[in-house]
Order: sequence, then C-alpha cells, then structure tokens
Amino acid sequence: MIRTKVCMLGSFAVGKTSLVRRFVHSLFGDRYLSTLGARVDKKSLVIDGTKIDLMLWDLAGKDDYQSVRPTHLRGASGCLLVMDSTREHSVDVALELHQLMLDTIDQVSFVVAINKCDLVDEWRLSDRQLEQLRALGGPIFRTSALTGDEVENAFAALARQILASKPPGEDGDPS
Amino acid sequence: MTRTDLPVVQLLERLDLALYESRDGRLLGDAPDWLTELAPEASKGSLEFDDDALPILGDFLGQARRFWQDGARGRLRSGPFVETDARGRGHALEATALRIDGRSLLLIERLGEDYELAVANLQTARENLLVQEELERIVARRTADLREREEELVYRLIRAANLRDNETGAHIRRIGLYSAALARALGWPAATVDDIRLASPMHDLGKVGIPDRILLKPGRLSEDEMAVMRGHTSLGAGILEDSRVPAVRMAAQIAAGHHEWWNGEGYPRGLAAEDIPECARIVAIVDVYDAMCHARSYKPAFPEDRVLDYLRERRARQFDPRLLDVFFERLPEMRRIRELHPDEGMDTAG
Repeated sequence: MIRTKVCMLGSFAVGKTSLVRRFVHSLFGDRYLSTLGARVDKKSLVIDGTKIDLMLWDLAGKDDYQSVRPTHLRGASGCLLVMDSTREHSVDVALELHQLMLDTIDQVSFVVAINKCDLVDEWRLSDRQLEQLRALGGPIFRTSALTGDEVENAFAALARQILASKPPGEDGDPS
Repeated sequence: MTRTDLPVVQLLERLDLALYESRDGRLLGDAPDWLTELAPEASKGSLEFDDDALPILGDFLGQARRFWQDGARGRLRSGPFVETDARGRGHALEATALRIDGRSLLLIERLGEDYELAVANLQTARENLLVQEELERIVARRTADLREREEELVYRLIRAANLRDNETGAHIRRIGLYSAALARALGWPAATVDDIRLASPMHDLGKVGIPDRILLKPGRLSEDEMAVMRGHTSLGAGILEDSRVPAVRMAAQIAAGHHEWWNGEGYPRGLAAEDIPECARIVAIVDVYDAMCHARSYKPAFPEDRVLDYLRERRARQFDPRLLDVFFERLPEMRRIRELHPDEGMDTAG
C-alpha cells in the first residue's frame, strides 16, 4: 500500500473543494464556500493491483489577499492544477502556481483540470491559453464537479503518474 | 512577578493552547478538550500524531523537526488548517514551531471563532472579486463591440472612398494587418498596435477630394496635376485631425506623413528621419510593398523579389532603414497576410 500527499492548486473559486467532494464523497454543492488554509480528505484507489491512499490537500485558492504557502506543498508527490473554464485569469494563476510547485517540490507529478466544463456556453479560455497549458507537459482533463465528468479519470491519471515515478519496492508516504 | 513565576500551564488552558516540548515529546499542561476529541492518543502527552487522525499536524511536525534540527532562529508557522474529528466536525488550528533558550517547542492553537470570522471576511472579499472579474469581462466585451463597430464604419467609409480609384477592400485590410504586425515587432503596446491596424487603412482618405479628371486620368500627370494629386495627404489629414479618438488622431498623422521620405525629399512637408511620425514611416513601407505586389487595372503585379529589391534600393532614402530591416525580418508574416487576404480575381506577385 502506498500513501501519498496530493495538493489541489488553483485560483480561488475554480472548484478545488468541489472536485475533492465529488471524488471522495460523490457530492456537489452549488454554493461557493471559500477555503481558508488547508483541509485534508483521503481516498483510496487501486491502480493496476496496487492500492494507493491519496491524502488530498485542499488548499486555499490564490487571490489578491493570500497566496499558497510553500509549507503546505512540501512533501507532496502530486498536484492537481485546477482552473475555471469560464475565467481566463484562472489560467494565468494556474501557470504561476505550476512554477511555485516546481520551485518547491522535487520530482512532482501533476495533471491539469479545466473545471466547470458543463458550462459550455460560458467557455472563455483562448487557444493561446490552451497552448500554454499543453506546453506544461501534463495530461489535461476537462472536468465538471457538478456532473462528475472526468473527475475520477483526472485523479486516477495523477495516481498512475505518482506510482510510475516511484522506484520499485518503495511504499509508504514519500514525505 | 519574575519570568519563572509565570503560570504557564494556567495560561495555556486559558488561551486554549496545546504546548509540546520536543526533547521528550511532553505535553506541557493538560490536553485541551478539542485535542482529546481530535486524537485521544495525542492528548496523552506524546508528540506523535496519527496521520489518519491529524494528517496536517503530522505533516507539519515533520517540517518542525527539520526546523529544530537546523537550529533555525525565529519560528515556523503552519498557517491555518482544519483537522476533522471522528464525528466529522472540523477544528480550525494553527501550529507554530519555535525554539526558546535551546528548547524546541510546538504550540498548537485552536482558532475557533477567529477562524470563522476570517472565513466570512474572505468569503465576502472573494465574492466581491468575482463580481469585479465579471464586470471587467463585461467592460472588455463591450469595448471590443464598440471597437468592432468603429472598424466596420471605418472600412465601409474607406470602401466608399476607394470606389473612385478602384482600390480593393482586401488591400485596405492587408495594410492594417501589415502595419499591426510591424508595430508589434517593434514592441509597441497592444492598444497602440490595435490603433494602427484601424488607422493605417485610412492613409489615402484624402483622395476623396481629388477631382476625377486627375484621380482617374490614364497616363502620366502633368506637374500641376501632380501637385493637386499630392494634396491628398493634407486633405486626408484635414479630414481626420483634432479627433478625440486615438486611432483617428494616428490616422491623421499617417495620412499626412506616408509620402514623406527618410531623406527629406518626400511630400507634403519635406520632413526627414524621425521628424516623420513612426506610424507614417511604417505605412510608407507596407503601402508600397502591397501596391507593387498586386495587380491593378492600370498595372500588373510585380514579382515579389523585384518589389523587395525596390524597397532595398530605397533603404535610408525613402524608407526608415531600421523599420525596413524589421520588415524584412518579418517577411514570412507579411507573406502569410497576403496569402490569407488575396484580391478577388486579381493576379498577385509570386
């Protein structure tokens, strides 16, 4: 069994908490509730016969008032980089946080989640922004915490990457 | 009261704090109720936290141990976090690692109502930010709509003006796009690049004031006729000047200056070098490039290499040498513009 720390990173109100709630509890609440600081949920997956416990660190989103604390990122094996398909600015913030993640953590796996994709008519991301996201090199998922679309797949892809990055025989919390 | 007389244990209880000392993992004082609810084993006095019960505190303890080992000064703070007890209730906490007189201490504070208040304030601030983002988006969209309407009016007016001298709509668009590409390559700000895209197609607007007998005359113009024809620059500037709209003010400079030469031998004012506005120096290059590369009723299209030779021959005479060099660097982009916006039914240079 492997236990690993995964951080949810993104601007405020992009749906990080909602993605965790959907993934862990199969629930969705349509009211936006701010996260202050950090909160952890746990979800176990079995990937190719290996059990992996994801400790999901739901971190406060970055905004004009607060930034992500590097102390919260340390020891993470993976990050879910979340943005809101209806807010262009959330991509810029995600790109900044991707850099913070690289500066803070050695050898980190990540996937990109473009969230709120159920709001098809409100899509605002430009082709240039999508190109910037592709250039990061991680898999990109178009998720919806409301409908559940691609949520499991995004977390499973991250878990798979984390497992693939571990030397054979290693288990336990990598932090 | 001396420092040693401080009633530390009572103080901790009063402030709802848990204080551990790292050396022997001892909890100083009794465990607060909230710590017992979160992790009964933690309250027994051991500085070890079950990662399932207190995952964030456990993670922070690892960082705190490195902090103590490094002998770092000051303190290491966790920032606020929420741990959940067995009954699913969240407890907002903040931990601080510090060293005092060589002793390694871990202070855990229950934030309680302060946390609730901070969350409420953050919620309000973020809802305001979301409203602000939405308003900015609406303003940007409406500004773009207005810009689009301005552009459409400009293009339709220029098309009307150009009906007299058979200039094509595609030429008008290309001039705007070449000029914008060159301005962007020169590092102009995005808004000014947008201005020249709109302004440059108006460079020949003054031709509306040139009599048909001269404008449409086949063959060479006499000296007097040429003097009238050259007046289209001042006429255009007169139509466009004194506007409050930046793009129209720029269009006036372009209309007045696009036949000025770098060496001062152009018209109407014989300006030289950087006395000619940069926007006009840009249009001077791209207008000649486009006009020569495309056929008109009175002339065929010239091969592009011949056009480029013509431009090179006039480097630092007719054209600003620095801008011409940048134009040549951006030639692939200029060619793409030509390919994407061809004249309908017209031959163009290869």
